[in-house]
Amino acid sequence: MIHSLDPRMNRLGLPETAPAAAKPALDQFETYEVFHQKKEGAPFVYVGSVHAPEADLAFLFAKEQYSRRFACTGMWVVPTSAITVTEYAGDTESAYDTLPLLPRSAAPAPVDESVEQEEAYAAGEEDYDIFHLKKRGKAHQHVGKVRAASPAEALQVAKAVFGEQRPVVNVWAVRSADVLHSEDDDRDIWATTTDKKYRDAIAYKVQDRIEKFKAENPQA
Amino acid sequence: MYGSASTHDLPSTAPTGLENEDPILLAEFEARIARGEKIEPGDWMPALYRKQLTRMIEQHAHSEIIGSLPEGTWITRAPGFRRKMAQMAKVQDEVGHAQLLYSAAETLGKTREQMLVDLINGKSKYSNVFNYPTPTWADSNVISWLIDAGAIVNQLANAKGSYGPYCRALDRICAEEAFHLKYGHDAVVHMATGTPIQRKMMQEALNRWWPAIMTFFGPSDKMSVHTEILMRWKVKMASNDECRNQFLDMYVPKIWEIGLTLPDANLRKNEETGQWEFTEPDWEDFKRVINGDGPCNAERLAVRRAAEENGAWVRRALSAGKTHQYVRPLA
Repeated sequence: MIHSLDPRMNRLGLPETAPAAAKPALDQFETYEVFHQKKEGAPFVYVGSVHAPEADLAFLFAKEQYSRRFACTGMWVVPTSAITVTEYAGDTESAYDTLPLLPRSAAPAPVDESVEQEEAYAAGEEDYDIFHLKKRGKAHQHVGKVRAASPAEALQVAKAVFGEQRPVVNVWAVRSADVLHSEDDDRDIWATTTDKKYRDAIAYKVQDRIEKFKAENPQA
Repeated sequence: MYGSASTHDLPSTAPTGLENEDPILLAEFEARIARGEKIEPGDWMPALYRKQLTRMIEQHAHSEIIGSLPEGTWITRAPGFRRKMAQMAKVQDEVGHAQLLYSAAETLGKTREQMLVDLINGKSKYSNVFNYPTPTWADSNVISWLIDAGAIVNQLANAKGSYGPYCRALDRICAEEAFHLKYGHDAVVHMATGTPIQRKMMQEALNRWWPAIMTFFGPSDKMSVHTEILMRWKVKMASNDECRNQFLDMYVPKIWEIGLTLPDANLRKNEETGQWEFTEPDWEDFKRVINGDGPCNAERLAVRRAAEENGAWVRRALSAGKTHQYVRPLA
């Protein structure tokens, strides 16, 4: 039995050695990508992934993992498998330049305000959220929505709408229906996040104590 | 917190395999790094780059998980409610850092499941300092301050490295760590400037931990072909000796100013060279401990294994019989 300095460990009665637990192959959940909003009106920015069995739990894990410490006003969670990714371009290029051309029949509908939304939806179109990576090593950021009938078409429409922006190192497109959004009511979740001052470096006024010690102990 | 840039198990005589790489792709890859661009998961990369980064990020992640144990031990016995809350928040941060790092390593192709299995089996390493115990609250404080400080030296260097997902994880980790360092310093100063008994307790903890701290950055780098390549590829950002010297420069004066001493009569800064001189750590002992024969190796892995086994039913319940289609995280 393991003899630990930690009484809780001793209560577990852990064996000294044990064969490695045989895990079934891929005993792990699917992955979700997480985006957060730092403050009201700011764009949603990619923060990382979580493993979860389904979207609601992914949201719960994401909240704990990515909005535990710093200010947050909103969070989106998307199954990794739902995201369409372009090639990566260089830091001065645009990933839109290397998009494969769609066959003619699937050419993107012009982005025209006169096209009624109903009509577009009737034609099998849906909303897609578009994210850009502006610089390698930084994080993808939400740039807006487009309407399209497929992810490939969504990227073409995005090129027409956002293609002027430069640089665009990488683009993600995801069907808006696949994005789990925090609701406005959810914002209470984060109301007290920044109140926990013991998690701020600034809460530790250690220098005062050091100075006092040095004044009282000049020989130290 | 706990990352140590040195990976201990890559034989420097192993072939680099570079002769098998496509010379055009390799040249493009190296040119990208040379002009300061990061590498992202969708890019072509040499096998050695992928292998070494996977190992390094994975070891960093394991160090966070295992490193939370010696401090976690003290949550229930932390003196006072405020310190209990802070200690708990810190430990939670460290475990969170492991999650970030596992995700970054996954983008290179190794599954999280495989990493966790390799940790439990003892196949993957973690920072060797966590194979030592924290017999008192003061020992926990030494970790909070000085091990975190050492890790931050490493992490700030590595955050300038070439792999995008690792940089993103490290940026977030470094932001969260600012509190750890201050919290640890505050706790050490509190004891060192407290009653004679508190002071003695802190000095003894520091004496116990100093030899391990001196090994934290790993042995002197031999400038092998590997080191040269990994530095060119911005996988390794500073030599172990550079990191150790920077750490000593920053923290030895802070230790001395609160009247604590360090158990090495040879420790002094050579003002001419700017380098610290010290008694060479016992690297044979280091090797023995990292290979499994330290005071806490068995306990650390047993605790990790128990967590894995005891959590199995929760994962099963959450899955509710569903088969999951694992997809590698994107970035």
